[in-house]
Amino acid sequence: MMRHAVLFLVTFLPGGAWAQGYERSPGYGAYKQADALFTARKTSEAAGALEHSLKLDPDLVPALTLYARIAMSINRFEVARESLNRALAVDPKSANARFLYGLSYYLSNDLQHALPQFEKARQENPKDARASLYLGLTYESIGRFDEAIALYEESVRRQPSAESYLAGARLLHSQRRLDDCERWIREALKLEPNSRDAHFELTRLLLRQEKPRLAAKEGERALELSGGNVSDSQIHYLLVRAYRTTSPALAEQHAEALRRIEDRSAPETKKDKP
Amino acid sequence: MIAVGALAFGLAPASPIAFEEVAHKAGLHFQLRNGESGKFHQIELMGGGVAVLDYNNDGCMDIFFTNGAAIPELKKSTPEYSNRLFRNNCDMTFTDVTSEAGVGGEGYSMAVAAADYDNDGFTDLFVAGVDRNILYHNLGNGRFADVTVKAGVGAQSPRPWSISSGWVDYDNDGWLDLFITNYVQWDPAKEPRCGLAEQQFYCHPSQYRGLPNQLFHNNRDGTFTDVSTKSGIGAHIGKGMGVAFADMDGDGFTDIFVSNDSVRNFLFHNQGNGTFREMSLETGTALRDDGLPIAGMGTDWRDFDNDGSPDLVVAGMINDGFLLFRNLGGNRGFEDAGERSGLLLGTRQFTGWGLGMYDLDNDGWKDMFFGLAHFTQLGKYLGRDAALSNRVFRNDGGKRFVDVSSTAGPDFHKAALNRGVAFGDFDNDGRVDVVVSCLNGPAKLYRNVTPGGAHWLALKLHGVHANRQGLGASVRVVLPDGRTLSNHATTAVGYASSSEPLVRFGLGSSPAVSSVEVRWPGGRTQQLRNVGIDRMVEVVEQ
Repeated sequence: MMRHAVLFLVTFLPGGAWAQGYERSPGYGAYKQADALFTARKTSEAAGALEHSLKLDPDLVPALTLYARIAMSINRFEVARESLNRALAVDPKSANARFLYGLSYYLSNDLQHALPQFEKARQENPKDARASLYLGLTYESIGRFDEAIALYEESVRRQPSAESYLAGARLLHSQRRLDDCERWIREALKLEPNSRDAHFELTRLLLRQEKPRLAAKEGERALELSGGNVSDSQIHYLLVRAYRTTSPALAEQHAEALRRIEDRSAPETKKDKP
Repeated sequence: MIAVGALAFGLAPASPIAFEEVAHKAGLHFQLRNGESGKFHQIELMGGGVAVLDYNNDGCMDIFFTNGAAIPELKKSTPEYSNRLFRNNCDMTFTDVTSEAGVGGEGYSMAVAAADYDNDGFTDLFVAGVDRNILYHNLGNGRFADVTVKAGVGAQSPRPWSISSGWVDYDNDGWLDLFITNYVQWDPAKEPRCGLAEQQFYCHPSQYRGLPNQLFHNNRDGTFTDVSTKSGIGAHIGKGMGVAFADMDGDGFTDIFVSNDSVRNFLFHNQGNGTFREMSLETGTALRDDGLPIAGMGTDWRDFDNDGSPDLVVAGMINDGFLLFRNLGGNRGFEDAGERSGLLLGTRQFTGWGLGMYDLDNDGWKDMFFGLAHFTQLGKYLGRDAALSNRVFRNDGGKRFVDVSSTAGPDFHKAALNRGVAFGDFDNDGRVDVVVSCLNGPAKLYRNVTPGGAHWLALKLHGVHANRQGLGASVRVVLPDGRTLSNHATTAVGYASSSEPLVRFGLGSSPAVSSVEVRWPGGRTQQLRNVGIDRMVEVVEQ
């Protein structure tokens, strides 16, 4: 969940759409620079540019929300909420700030506080698909599956995205609603044909449907792609299972690949934290 | 018509599984103390191993609880930290005989494994812990002797943090060997600080280095040799929580499964030559269906669908979903049956510790009992308490597991910080009872009061060439209607715990068994005819 959301913070929240109307602010130029740096994952430099922006305009809402995103990316959730509180004081209707407020709780596993924030974001901004999606993820985490599915459906109605379709597909898979699961995965693939995560979920589904050859094909495709949240290890594991009966030698190859990944990140290489 | 048909096929109409919690009434007064002091020492989260054993051979199962210690000195500085042995008075009351038995223990204890390692007819105890392990030899007179040093199973520096252990005859020489599951390297002086600046948490296991497990070969003279490296077991670093033993492929050699916390599980396939090959990836038992590890905890390895091959269940934490791996038989590995059986979704909201696969209603299908509790800090973030009530899932014809906790008894509506779980028939009525150790709370004793009077059979194995308790033996029962039931003898069940060594079968309404076949470790088989039911039958290896 954490890795998923960090990527989301970096890639799913382009500053442009949320910054309209602020172009005249003296801090706007520095803010745009900071946004570009953060998108390029140059966090320290982005923070520096952002500090400059906020010196020029302490009430620049996009800068305050970007500051919160940076803080969350390094697990400084209280700092993020302070910045978001300032943003909401300036612009109580800031959809971005409200959503990020909920996200700050969600990322720190504080689901009981995330819920009302996402609910508020969803109600205040009927076009915000993210609020529906993350409210759904939160409900799913606390076992309210029916509500979660309804929210995933709402999310794709508000703004179809591969991410929302795949969230729904995973839950449908766990509920053994496999036809619906497949339909949602296919919708995700229509939107993002090269979505690694979508091909991964299709691999899982095909394994569940006892179609190992097709699963292997999809799994190999997923392995070729980049991006998304799924790791190489996860794909290798599915391929071990897919090839187990059809090609034991290939199954063994993928098992060895997974073991090599484990060895590279073995505990012996980790240093104890002070 | 349907009922008659069902009876004709030996299928009992379903009786609701029911338990009565009787710990207080039974005099079983014990509280697991973890020594927590507000400093978030990782060891505070774990522990709680409990054993069911007949230490005095009076035919009534007794109970041994492990306990914690003061932190950071790791000393059992007050009686509240003592490990405890309770003698069953054979009337569903228990007496604390810890002092007389000499098993109060030292250090921070976590797990217990009970078995007769020297084949003298008395069940011994191995207690694993954070800073020391203890091997207790049962002297046969109500007392135990600490033989750890002599046996060679305690001396190692630095001591690994052991969370589970079990007895297994891996080389079929008739003597039980010792397997120890190790978790992570832990040093109270170097405990990382985890959480937020404003709120400390317990750390995720990724903050600690994992450890290899250990295998000690029984030298038959009261000593053991560490064969962890030689056997191949020690080559694999994990974060072991539970251990289970079974012959997964019917080759006559017992295999070993270790459930790991937040890294993939291990399945050690016994090569039959003193070595093991780790094959969790190849067998499909390493990870969840989506290729992610879970916070693996308790595990059991038994045949839930009566196809003759033992299957695996693993508990996890909230949003993991518990794992169920169905054995495909032979060398075909396992398939993930968690979703299809309903267990994955049905357990997603739980954090599980001890567990067991036992036929709780004697209908011929093994059910599941889970000891549950979230990690103590997690409750705050879920908006609910970390304490949970235990759960019973009924096996519906080997196809699905159905949560029947709401009708299983009043205690299944009472939450606690449940930990280790062990199984045995304390009142010898043929219905499996359960004992649960609870963190900083009273232990629970669930007396099985399931109605219906379904038939049953329990086998007490007596090895001659095999180890005396017959651990590792597989048993197959054929019913008059042709159905086959299978089980095997093991005491390593669940998390940090040890259960009775008897091999049990629920027979439903079947009025008899047609045959019983025991396959002893080493391959010898023994056929039994005219076996009576609704009793415990002693089987001596021939």
